[in-house]
Amino acid sequence: MIKSLVLTVGLVLGFTSQAFSEAKEVTLYTQRHYAFDEIIVAKLQEETGIKVNVVKASADELITRLQEEGENTPADLFMTADGAGLDRAHKAGLLQPITSEAVTSAVPATLKDPENHWVAVTQRARVIVYSPDRVDPAELSTYEDLADPKWRGRIVVRSSSNAYNISLLATLISEIGVEKATEWAAGVRKNMARPPQGSDRDQIRAVAAGLADVALANTYYLGLLETSEEAKDREAAAAVKIFFPNQEGRGAHVNISGIGVVKGTAKAELAEEVIEFLLSEKVQAMYPENTFEFPVNPAASLSDVQKRWGKFKADDVPLSTMGEFNAEAVRTFNRAGWE
Amino acid sequence: MDDALSGEGIDRHEAASRPRLKQLIRISPWGAGVVFLSALICLPIVGVLLHLTDSGPEWTHLVETVLPGYLLNTAVLVVSVTLVVLLLGIAPAWLVTVYEFPGRAFFSWALILPLALPTYVAAFVYYQGPEAAIPFLIWVRTEISVDAFITAELVIRYGLLIVMMGAVLFPYVYLASRSAFSQQGRTLIEAARCLGDSPGRIFFKVAIPLGRPAIVAGAALVIMEVINDYGAVHFFGVPTLTEGIFRTWFGMGDKVSALRLASIVMLGVAMLLILEKLLRGRARYVEAGAPTVPLARVRLGRGKAVPAFLVCLFPLALGFLYPVARLTQWAWLNLTSERGVSIPFGESLLRGLALALGTAVIVTLLAAIFSFAVRLRETPLRRGLSRLSGLGYATPGAVIAVGVLVVFGALDRLGNSFLPLFSGTLFVIGFAYLVRFFAIPLQLSHAAMDRLGSSLSEASRLLGKAPMATFMRIELPLLRGPLIAAGMLLFVDILKELPLTLILRPANFETLATISFSLASEARLQACAVPSLMIVAAGAAGLIIMNRWLSPSANP
Repeated sequence: MIKSLVLTVGLVLGFTSQAFSEAKEVTLYTQRHYAFDEIIVAKLQEETGIKVNVVKASADELITRLQEEGENTPADLFMTADGAGLDRAHKAGLLQPITSEAVTSAVPATLKDPENHWVAVTQRARVIVYSPDRVDPAELSTYEDLADPKWRGRIVVRSSSNAYNISLLATLISEIGVEKATEWAAGVRKNMARPPQGSDRDQIRAVAAGLADVALANTYYLGLLETSEEAKDREAAAAVKIFFPNQEGRGAHVNISGIGVVKGTAKAELAEEVIEFLLSEKVQAMYPENTFEFPVNPAASLSDVQKRWGKFKADDVPLSTMGEFNAEAVRTFNRAGWE
Repeated sequence: MDDALSGEGIDRHEAASRPRLKQLIRISPWGAGVVFLSALICLPIVGVLLHLTDSGPEWTHLVETVLPGYLLNTAVLVVSVTLVVLLLGIAPAWLVTVYEFPGRAFFSWALILPLALPTYVAAFVYYQGPEAAIPFLIWVRTEISVDAFITAELVIRYGLLIVMMGAVLFPYVYLASRSAFSQQGRTLIEAARCLGDSPGRIFFKVAIPLGRPAIVAGAALVIMEVINDYGAVHFFGVPTLTEGIFRTWFGMGDKVSALRLASIVMLGVAMLLILEKLLRGRARYVEAGAPTVPLARVRLGRGKAVPAFLVCLFPLALGFLYPVARLTQWAWLNLTSERGVSIPFGESLLRGLALALGTAVIVTLLAAIFSFAVRLRETPLRRGLSRLSGLGYATPGAVIAVGVLVVFGALDRLGNSFLPLFSGTLFVIGFAYLVRFFAIPLQLSHAAMDRLGSSLSEASRLLGKAPMATFMRIELPLLRGPLIAAGMLLFVDILKELPLTLILRPANFETLATISFSLASEARLQACAVPSLMIVAAGAAGLIIMNRWLSPSANP
């Protein structure tokens, strides 16, 4: 018994010490949980020899971890699936400016921090998904309109703890003010067919199944459902359509997934090389085909699925708005009773 | 010999006549060990409790908006899930102990299997229920009214969540009452039988009152699991206090208010545990006379065997057979579909399993040594520390995770130049498991040592053996059964653990739970079924081993 104990302890310690890193390795803290990201990491190592060690958790859990680990953090890069998370990491002093020309010139000015503390890697629009059987597209117009009583019992959206919803509401607050945004959130909540629950996929499935007529969801989910391993998902994708809201006005809400270099890292150069790789035309063209996100490098082309969604007007609300009004958006959801 | 006598444990009478101060100053390695270990464990816990009266910037806002809802949801779940586990757990425990009927031996161990299912896995299986009800809901909307439709949806969802949680958590009550019925009530049950009491009367007048402390203890575990649940309530869109802690902290960035919420939860659970202690009073409920003669089981005729069979089958079907059947179906679809997702089961996964097993072994041993030390001399300090270090079980995993991050962050800054870094290593996550789950092996080894009594180790001490030698030669071998059982329960719990693992895991580190959860939160049922089934299989194996070593007939 004692022998086996010593063995187990040794085994655990052995695994523990393995965590210390070597030369061409960087550590990435990321909120993204897509299988495709693992393929990119493998490709990166193959082409540049850089090994990326990955830690996955939610953006704010990772921010907390970076803060507590301080200067001893193993992290060199920080990546999120939402603009607000990057802004909060930057405001908490966790990111350092990116100096690489190749990075800063690959991304339009609207898709990065003014001082290059972070850059976007992909974009996604948060849109209305509807059932063409039960909804006439002429009925649809804006996000604001979803608070109208005509949608009573017809809407499904996920919970207010979700970053995509928080960022959408943050831009609404910046556009129409807290008071009207609260009324809006309360109105949409009242119109919901069921209390908020599940993921964006679940909302699209609910519309396809007939539980509701419209849902708010990110564009790429439709592409993922269309190519899903599950027949039920492919049927769901076929049963719904995308509507880009606010096309007459400011445009559809567009969020980003982005990345920054962790402040004080000894491997800034390697870290920036990783970002260069992610922004290269070749990798940028892979995102639309695999995760169905929009590229940020204007040189990269869209996938057929995305072309079918059609061209749309994106809002030009500065990305920093999402971080700025993040906490206010959470409070607004709470006041409006949107769980 | 002299050393032994002036050491721990034997000198209670002597100590009373000595000056108090001297007694306090004399430090034994055992006392120091207890204080050191519990200080380590309590550090993150006390760090949270300190925030009990702090109001963060969002506190008033929370109280005015969402807090009442969180409290209501938590209360509804705690009360109704407790009722469900009592209904599902006690009756089968009684039947398999007292009666003989076809399938009895199978149910006796199979009824603990639902514990192998993490609640979030059971949740995504049961979440398909509301989906199946969609045609009905649409009918309600078109034929009755939108309001009726919204109410019906609410009732179906809450109902399913409550049944689901009860169905996977009832084994805590089942296990507790099974052991209470089989060990404690034996002679009384037989006496009642001889006096001609009806079976129903024996159950309500003898078995239930005698089993009450054990049943309450089992229910207390269920309540803690419900309060700390993270995945299932999120799935079903029923935000509880624990979800509130996450939202306040990670959504609003108000750490102080989040920790205040956490400390309120901990305090509530602590009060619950104290209440349980008070209810139990001084009664020990242990039968005199150690030799155990198994209760003569009454064979049931066909007319009664069928209902007994069904009463046992029902909870097992709800909590294990149905979810596992659905998972198997989805996993099969995933494996046979050409688009099926292959799960990256590689080295990282082996590390996860090794970590769970290694941590379970180490933590169980520490708990055994700890409770041995507490029993060596039961000072109020040691008893208090032992209670406090069990509080981690009442703390949400995410809160412990951050407490542990703070501790090791500070340690790394202190020892920057001469110590290797802890941050981001498996050591941190193993330590966090220790803090979170220490209560389980501690309780079990306390109980086992109580049953063992102290005469053997006192004899060993009188014969001149040092405490450590006594522990290695007496307690450790004699308590092998309960300790292995405790270790296995711990292994299953670590295997299922989620929030803490998500926050603290080192780079490139996956456990079955993290893989399964990330697929489940993307609502990818078929892909998720594969790792989920593997958790269930590993957990079931652990539980079966546990059950073998737990049963009184197991002769180590």
